[in-house]
Amino acid sequence: MAKSKFQHVKITGLSVIVPKKEICIYDEAQYYDNNIKKIERMHKIVGFNKRHVVEEGITASDLCIKASELLFKEMNIDIDSIDALIYVVQRPDHSSPATAYYIHNKLNLPISCIAFDIRQGCPGWVYGLNVAHSMIESGAYKKILLLAGDTPSIGVDPSDRNVAPVFGDGGSATLLEYSDKINESFFNISVYSDGYEAIIKPASGFRLQLHYDERDKELLNPIEKKSGGTNRLVDLYMDGLAVFDFTMNHVPENICDLMKYANISNQKVDYLMLHQANKQIIQTLSSKLGFSDEKAPWKSFEELGNQSITSIPVAIAYNISNELHNKQMKLLCSGFGNGLAVASALLNFNNVYCSGIKFYEAHKGYLSRQEYIEHWKEKIGNK
Amino acid sequence: MKKSEFLEALEDILQREEPCQENDILADYDEWDSLSKMAIMAYYDKNFKVKLSLNDFKSMNMVSDLIKLAGENISD
Repeated sequence: MAKSKFQHVKITGLSVIVPKKEICIYDEAQYYDNNIKKIERMHKIVGFNKRHVVEEGITASDLCIKASELLFKEMNIDIDSIDALIYVVQRPDHSSPATAYYIHNKLNLPISCIAFDIRQGCPGWVYGLNVAHSMIESGAYKKILLLAGDTPSIGVDPSDRNVAPVFGDGGSATLLEYSDKINESFFNISVYSDGYEAIIKPASGFRLQLHYDERDKELLNPIEKKSGGTNRLVDLYMDGLAVFDFTMNHVPENICDLMKYANISNQKVDYLMLHQANKQIIQTLSSKLGFSDEKAPWKSFEELGNQSITSIPVAIAYNISNELHNKQMKLLCSGFGNGLAVASALLNFNNVYCSGIKFYEAHKGYLSRQEYIEHWKEKIGNK
Repeated sequence: MKKSEFLEALEDILQREEPCQENDILADYDEWDSLSKMAIMAYYDKNFKVKLSLNDFKSMNMVSDLIKLAGENISD
């Protein structure tokens, strides 16, 4: 298993943006045969309630740009001091170039600041932290802006009740810096690639390429599911039970190994910040690991949804942002899901700046879908 | 845990309005969906330290089959 330890990296700031638009499961009775009891059952068992989703034309990069602008302003950061921008994403703005370049441009980062994307799903924030820690510990980079954002609500059929009520959208910016003083952090990442088909969009890249003509018919035809409903090859497919099975077995294993590696007991951990998959999963995992409900928050799932890559930053900002200032605390974070993979970290949060959850407002230079189309028509037309 | 206690717990896990009986056929329950199966897996894991797998559900017909899988955790 991939374990790693770092001594000279500290997280100094975290900002989180979610869209304003809220959807509540109680307003979606049409999908539950207008039976409020069915909705209450979902709410009680898994915590389905509200989710915040983007309006058309807003991408994860927009949310992350806004999160970065907020962090720069509130922490008074000199952008010329940033050495690297890492963007963790699974829904990039375009397949080429890396969306990190678009963000780099919008944020006016200096030419000396490298920029690249990491394609990951739910374990992504911790994956990105691991890469950023390695880069700083090596001595090559002093200050890194790690952006993790996702808009899993885009393209989901609202009648697909396995998927639609789960996901909200969000973007985050985490600032990591070199620390002269020893500041220990520990990571454990485990990969179970035999489950790569458990959460997948089969026709979303070049394996089943869209041709934009009649050849796409098979990719767009709904396939009937035995359990009811349909899925197209271009839609997100999720084998919920297989993912649940994986989560119950491999996540506790990975976290226990990390705790042994870091030589830390439950009592010394201030919070267990789990990927906000759903309330049932969080409660079961935390109880299996011997953490109380108060130490393993899940309220952000109920109020904002599961933002996939961004759900751990959201949970931190939502639940404990007012406890972070001038305090030292140990956070045990674990992201798990598509890959399938589990990425966990024991982080020492020492006076981390975080101003809580903020709502999205268009950033400077944002172009709506139509404005962006016009921008390209003009650009290409003038060639 | 006594069987009667488990049947009451099952009613709560499935969020059913009516009581569960040992001889009920699970597929007859409106609530017998993937959500319920996950809730049962979580309950067994947490309370009985029994890890159910997806295959366990394939061969499961009645509430009594579910009780059997709990082994000595559920008594008459």
